[in-house]
Amino acid sequence: MAEPADRFEQQALSYLDALYRTALRMTRSEADAEDLVQETYIRAFRFREQFTAGTNLKAWLFRILTNTFINSYRRKAAQPQTTELDDIEETTLHRRMTETSPSIEPEREVLDNMVSSEVQQALQELPDRFRTVLLLDVEGFAYKEIAEMLEIPIGTVMSRLHRGRKFLQERLYDLARDRGIAAAKAMPRPAAAPKGSARRATAEKKQGA
Amino acid sequence: MDCEECRERLYPYLDRELSPTEFEEVKVHLDDCGGCDTAFVVERVFLDQLRGSATSDVAPPGVRERLIVRLRHDVGSRS
Repeated sequence: MAEPADRFEQQALSYLDALYRTALRMTRSEADAEDLVQETYIRAFRFREQFTAGTNLKAWLFRILTNTFINSYRRKAAQPQTTELDDIEETTLHRRMTETSPSIEPEREVLDNMVSSEVQQALQELPDRFRTVLLLDVEGFAYKEIAEMLEIPIGTVMSRLHRGRKFLQERLYDLARDRGIAAAKAMPRPAAAPKGSARRATAEKKQGA
Repeated sequence: MDCEECRERLYPYLDRELSPTEFEEVKVHLDDCGGCDTAFVVERVFLDQLRGSATSDVAPPGVRERLIVRLRHDVGSRS
Protein backbone atom coordinates (compact mmCIF):
# COMPACT_ATOMS: atom_id res chain seq x y z
CA MET A 1 0.00 0.00 0.00
CA ALA A 2 1.31 3.46 -0.91
CA GLU A 3 2.21 5.73 1.98
CA PRO A 4 -0.86 7.85 2.66
CA ALA A 5 1.24 10.92 3.49
CA ASP A 6 2.86 10.90 0.07
CA ARG A 7 -0.39 10.34 -1.69
CA PHE A 8 -1.93 13.30 0.14
CA GLU A 9 0.97 15.48 -0.94
CA GLN A 10 0.84 14.31 -4.50
CA GLN A 11 -2.87 14.86 -4.77
CA ALA A 12 -2.68 18.24 -3.07
CA LEU A 13 0.07 19.40 -5.43
CA SER A 14 -1.98 18.34 -8.45
CA TYR A 15 -4.25 21.33 -7.72
CA LEU A 16 -1.41 23.85 -7.81
CA ASP A 17 -2.34 25.34 -11.19
CA ALA A 18 -5.98 25.79 -10.23
CA LEU A 19 -5.09 27.31 -6.87
CA TYR A 20 -2.47 29.59 -8.38
CA ARG A 21 -4.66 31.03 -11.14
CA THR A 22 -7.45 31.63 -8.64
CA ALA A 23 -5.01 33.27 -6.21
CA LEU A 24 -3.65 35.45 -9.00
CA ARG A 25 -7.11 36.74 -9.88
CA MET A 26 -7.94 37.31 -6.25
CA THR A 27 -4.76 39.21 -5.35
CA ARG A 28 -3.99 40.68 -8.79
CA SER A 29 -0.29 40.29 -8.09
CA GLU A 30 2.03 37.43 -8.96
CA ALA A 31 4.07 37.85 -5.79
CA ASP A 32 0.97 37.89 -3.58
CA ALA A 33 -0.54 34.96 -5.47
CA GLU A 34 2.55 32.88 -4.85
CA ASP A 35 2.61 33.84 -1.15
CA LEU A 36 -1.08 33.02 -0.85
CA VAL A 37 -0.63 29.63 -2.50
CA GLN A 38 2.36 28.80 -0.30
CA GLU A 39 0.42 29.84 2.79
CA THR A 40 -2.50 27.69 1.66
CA TYR A 41 -0.32 24.60 1.25
CA ILE A 42 1.52 25.15 4.51
CA ARG A 43 -1.80 25.28 6.35
CA ALA A 44 -3.12 22.29 4.47
CA PHE A 45 -0.05 20.23 5.30
CA ARG A 46 -0.06 21.32 8.94
CA PHE A 47 -3.72 20.49 9.37
CA ARG A 48 -3.81 17.47 7.11
CA GLU A 49 -5.13 15.38 10.00
CA GLN A 50 -8.33 17.41 9.75
CA PHE A 51 -8.86 16.36 6.18
CA THR A 52 -11.12 13.34 5.85
CA ALA A 53 -9.66 10.96 3.30
CA GLY A 54 -12.08 10.21 0.51
CA THR A 55 -13.75 13.62 0.68
CA ASN A 56 -13.14 16.40 -1.80
CA LEU A 57 -9.53 17.50 -1.40
CA LYS A 58 -9.82 20.19 -4.05
CA ALA A 59 -12.74 21.79 -2.19
CA TRP A 60 -10.84 21.55 1.09
CA LEU A 61 -7.78 23.30 -0.41
CA PHE A 62 -9.90 26.00 -2.01
CA ARG A 63 -11.62 26.59 1.28
CA ILE A 64 -8.25 27.20 2.92
CA LEU A 65 -7.26 29.45 0.01
CA THR A 66 -10.39 31.60 0.21
CA ASN A 67 -10.21 31.84 4.01
CA THR A 68 -6.57 32.84 3.90
CA PHE A 69 -7.31 35.39 1.23
CA ILE A 70 -10.25 36.87 3.07
CA ASN A 71 -8.38 37.04 6.36
CA SER A 72 -4.97 38.19 5.23
CA TYR A 73 -4.87 39.48 1.71
CA ARG A 74 -8.11 41.14 0.84
CA ARG A 75 -7.30 44.33 2.64
CA LYS A 76 -4.05 44.80 0.83
CA ALA A 77 -5.10 43.46 -2.57
CA ALA A 78 -4.60 46.14 -5.18
CA GLN A 79 -8.03 47.51 -5.95
CA PRO A 80 -8.56 48.57 -9.55
CA GLN A 81 -11.61 50.50 -10.54
CA THR A 82 -14.32 47.99 -9.98
CA THR A 83 -17.81 48.33 -11.22
CA GLU A 84 -20.90 48.48 -9.10
CA LEU A 85 -23.31 45.81 -10.19
CA ASP A 86 -26.44 46.93 -8.45
CA ASP A 87 -27.52 49.07 -11.37
CA ILE A 88 -26.81 46.61 -14.11
CA GLU A 89 -29.91 46.09 -16.06
CA GLU A 90 -31.25 42.73 -16.92
CA THR A 91 -30.30 43.24 -20.52
CA THR A 92 -28.71 39.97 -21.28
CA LEU A 93 -26.50 39.24 -24.20
CA HIS A 94 -29.32 37.19 -25.59
CA ARG A 95 -32.13 39.64 -25.11
CA ARG A 96 -30.22 42.59 -26.50
CA MET A 97 -29.18 40.68 -29.55
CA THR A 98 -32.47 39.07 -30.34
CA GLU A 99 -34.12 42.48 -30.33
CA THR A 100 -32.60 43.02 -33.75
CA SER A 101 -32.13 39.53 -35.00
CA PRO A 102 -34.22 36.42 -34.84
CA SER A 103 -31.18 34.31 -35.60
CA ILE A 104 -28.69 32.87 -33.17
CA GLU A 105 -25.77 33.72 -35.46
CA PRO A 106 -24.92 37.19 -34.13
CA GLU A 107 -24.67 35.97 -30.57
CA ARG A 108 -22.55 33.11 -31.74
CA GLU A 109 -20.24 35.48 -33.55
CA VAL A 110 -19.64 37.51 -30.40
CA LEU A 111 -19.30 34.40 -28.29
CA ASP A 112 -16.99 32.68 -30.74
CA ASN A 113 -14.82 35.75 -30.70
CA MET A 114 -14.56 35.94 -26.94
CA VAL A 115 -10.92 36.59 -26.27
CA SER A 116 -9.25 35.12 -23.27
CA SER A 117 -7.49 38.37 -22.38
CA GLU A 118 -10.82 40.18 -22.47
CA VAL A 119 -12.39 37.60 -20.20
CA GLN A 120 -9.51 38.18 -17.79
CA GLN A 121 -9.95 41.92 -18.05
CA ALA A 122 -13.69 41.74 -17.43
CA LEU A 123 -13.14 39.42 -14.47
CA GLN A 124 -10.67 41.87 -12.95
CA GLU A 125 -13.24 44.64 -13.10
CA LEU A 126 -15.69 42.72 -10.96
CA PRO A 127 -15.90 43.60 -7.27
CA ASP A 128 -14.21 40.97 -5.06
CA ARG A 129 -17.33 39.31 -3.75
CA PHE A 130 -18.66 38.66 -7.24
CA ARG A 131 -15.33 37.65 -8.69
CA THR A 132 -14.61 35.16 -5.92
CA VAL A 133 -17.90 33.36 -6.54
CA LEU A 134 -17.29 33.27 -10.29
CA LEU A 135 -13.74 32.01 -9.87
CA LEU A 136 -14.92 29.17 -7.66
CA ASP A 137 -17.69 28.39 -10.12
CA VAL A 138 -15.36 28.09 -13.10
CA GLU A 139 -13.20 25.71 -11.08
CA GLY A 140 -16.20 23.42 -10.97
CA PHE A 141 -17.59 23.81 -7.45
CA ALA A 142 -21.28 23.36 -6.71
CA TYR A 143 -23.37 26.20 -5.24
CA LYS A 144 -23.35 24.45 -1.88
CA GLU A 145 -19.57 24.05 -1.85
CA ILE A 146 -19.09 27.72 -2.72
CA ALA A 147 -21.57 28.72 -0.02
CA GLU A 148 -19.65 26.67 2.55
CA MET A 149 -16.27 28.00 1.48
CA LEU A 150 -17.36 31.62 1.71
CA GLU A 151 -19.79 31.11 4.60
CA ILE A 152 -22.64 32.78 2.76
CA PRO A 153 -26.15 31.49 1.96
CA ILE A 154 -26.72 29.55 -1.25
CA GLY A 155 -29.16 32.25 -2.38
CA THR A 156 -26.33 34.78 -2.19
CA VAL A 157 -24.09 32.50 -4.25
CA MET A 158 -26.81 32.26 -6.89
CA SER A 159 -27.46 35.98 -7.02
CA ARG A 160 -23.76 36.86 -7.19
CA LEU A 161 -23.23 34.30 -9.95
CA HIS A 162 -26.18 35.64 -11.88
CA ARG A 163 -25.18 39.26 -11.62
CA GLY A 164 -21.49 38.55 -12.10
CA ARG A 165 -22.19 36.64 -15.30
CA LYS A 166 -24.47 39.37 -16.61
CA PHE A 167 -21.76 41.92 -15.91
CA LEU A 168 -19.22 39.84 -17.81
CA GLN A 169 -21.58 39.55 -20.76
CA GLU A 170 -22.05 43.31 -20.83
CA ARG A 171 -18.32 43.93 -20.73
CA LEU A 172 -17.49 41.28 -23.30
CA TYR A 173 -20.12 42.68 -25.59
CA ASP A 174 -18.61 46.17 -25.26
CA LEU A 175 -15.10 44.88 -25.80
CA ALA A 176 -16.20 42.90 -28.86
CA ARG A 177 -17.86 46.01 -30.25
CA ASP A 178 -14.72 48.05 -29.62
CA ARG A 179 -12.76 45.44 -31.50
CA GLY A 180 -15.18 45.81 -34.38
CA ILE A 181 -16.96 42.50 -34.24
CA ALA A 182 -19.67 42.97 -36.83
CA ALA A 183 -22.47 41.36 -34.89
CA ALA A 184 -21.88 43.47 -31.81
CA LYS A 185 -21.59 46.62 -33.92
CA ALA A 186 -24.93 46.00 -35.52
CA MET A 187 -26.65 45.67 -32.16
CA PRO A 188 -28.11 48.62 -30.30
CA ARG A 189 -26.15 49.97 -27.37
CA PRO A 190 -27.16 48.45 -24.04
CA ALA A 191 -30.13 50.37 -22.71
CA ALA A 192 -29.08 53.02 -20.22
CA ALA A 193 -25.62 52.12 -19.06
CA PRO A 194 -25.60 52.73 -15.32
CA LYS A 195 -24.85 56.38 -14.71
CA GLY A 196 -22.16 57.30 -12.23
CA SER A 197 -22.42 53.90 -10.72
CA ALA A 198 -19.10 52.54 -11.82
CA ARG A 199 -17.04 53.73 -8.92
CA ARG A 200 -19.13 52.74 -5.97
CA ALA A 201 -18.52 49.40 -4.39
CA THR A 202 -20.53 49.47 -1.24
CA ALA A 203 -24.17 49.10 -2.08
CA GLU A 204 -24.31 45.36 -1.61
CA LYS A 205 -22.83 45.70 1.84
CA LYS A 206 -25.73 47.90 2.81
CA GLN A 207 -28.08 45.17 1.77
CA GLY A 208 -26.03 42.68 3.69
CA ALA A 209 -25.85 40.42 0.66
CA MET B 1 -44.00 25.90 -16.65
CA ASP B 2 -44.20 29.28 -18.43
CA CYS B 3 -41.34 31.20 -20.05
CA GLU B 4 -40.72 33.36 -17.00
CA GLU B 5 -40.44 30.41 -14.66
CA CYS B 6 -38.21 28.70 -17.17
CA ARG B 7 -35.83 31.69 -17.50
CA GLU B 8 -35.60 31.98 -13.74
CA ARG B 9 -34.13 28.50 -13.73
CA LEU B 10 -31.71 29.16 -16.55
CA TYR B 11 -28.47 29.15 -14.56
CA PRO B 12 -29.46 26.50 -12.02
CA TYR B 13 -30.43 24.33 -15.00
CA LEU B 14 -27.16 24.90 -16.87
CA ASP B 15 -25.19 24.54 -13.64
CA ARG B 16 -26.93 21.21 -12.97
CA GLU B 17 -28.26 22.44 -9.67
CA LEU B 18 -31.94 21.60 -10.15
CA SER B 19 -33.69 18.61 -8.66
CA PRO B 20 -34.40 15.84 -11.19
CA THR B 21 -38.08 16.83 -11.24
CA GLU B 22 -37.37 20.51 -11.88
CA PHE B 23 -34.72 19.66 -14.43
CA GLU B 24 -37.26 17.59 -16.33
CA GLU B 25 -39.88 20.37 -16.17
CA VAL B 26 -37.44 22.85 -17.69
CA LYS B 27 -36.44 20.35 -20.34
CA VAL B 28 -40.05 19.79 -21.35
CA HIS B 29 -40.54 23.55 -21.70
CA LEU B 30 -37.34 23.93 -23.75
CA ASP B 31 -38.46 21.21 -26.15
CA ASP B 32 -41.62 23.22 -26.79
CA CYS B 33 -40.31 26.78 -26.77
CA GLY B 34 -37.81 27.91 -29.36
CA GLY B 35 -37.26 31.27 -27.70
CA CYS B 36 -36.26 29.84 -24.35
CA ASP B 37 -34.24 27.11 -26.01
CA THR B 38 -32.22 29.67 -27.97
CA ALA B 39 -31.59 31.70 -24.84
CA PHE B 40 -30.36 28.62 -23.03
CA VAL B 41 -28.08 27.61 -25.89
CA VAL B 42 -26.50 31.07 -25.98
CA GLU B 43 -25.91 31.03 -22.24
CA ARG B 44 -24.47 27.56 -22.37
CA VAL B 45 -21.96 28.63 -25.01
CA PHE B 46 -21.08 31.67 -22.91
CA LEU B 47 -20.48 29.55 -19.81
CA ASP B 48 -18.39 27.04 -21.74
CA GLN B 49 -16.25 29.81 -23.20
CA LEU B 50 -15.90 31.46 -19.83
CA ARG B 51 -14.76 28.23 -18.19
CA GLY B 52 -12.35 27.56 -21.05
CA SER B 53 -10.79 31.03 -20.81
CA ALA B 54 -10.67 31.16 -17.05
CA THR B 55 -9.16 27.76 -16.39
CA SER B 56 -6.55 27.43 -19.12
CA ASP B 57 -3.61 29.12 -17.42
CA VAL B 58 -1.05 27.32 -15.31
CA ALA B 59 1.37 28.43 -12.61
CA PRO B 60 4.53 30.05 -14.03
CA PRO B 61 7.82 28.15 -13.97
CA GLY B 62 9.46 28.07 -10.56
CA VAL B 63 6.28 28.34 -8.51
CA ARG B 64 6.08 24.60 -7.90
CA GLU B 65 9.78 24.29 -7.08
CA ARG B 66 9.73 27.19 -4.61
CA LEU B 67 6.58 25.80 -3.01
CA ILE B 68 8.16 22.41 -2.47
CA VAL B 69 11.29 23.96 -0.98
CA ARG B 70 9.15 26.01 1.41
CA LEU B 71 7.00 23.04 2.39
CA ARG B 72 10.08 20.99 3.12
CA HIS B 73 11.48 23.80 5.22
CA ASP B 74 8.29 24.81 7.06
CA VAL B 75 6.43 21.57 7.58
CA GLY B 76 9.05 18.94 6.89
CA SER B 77 7.24 17.69 3.79
CA ARG B 78 8.97 14.89 1.98
CA SER B 79 7.67 15.95 -1.43
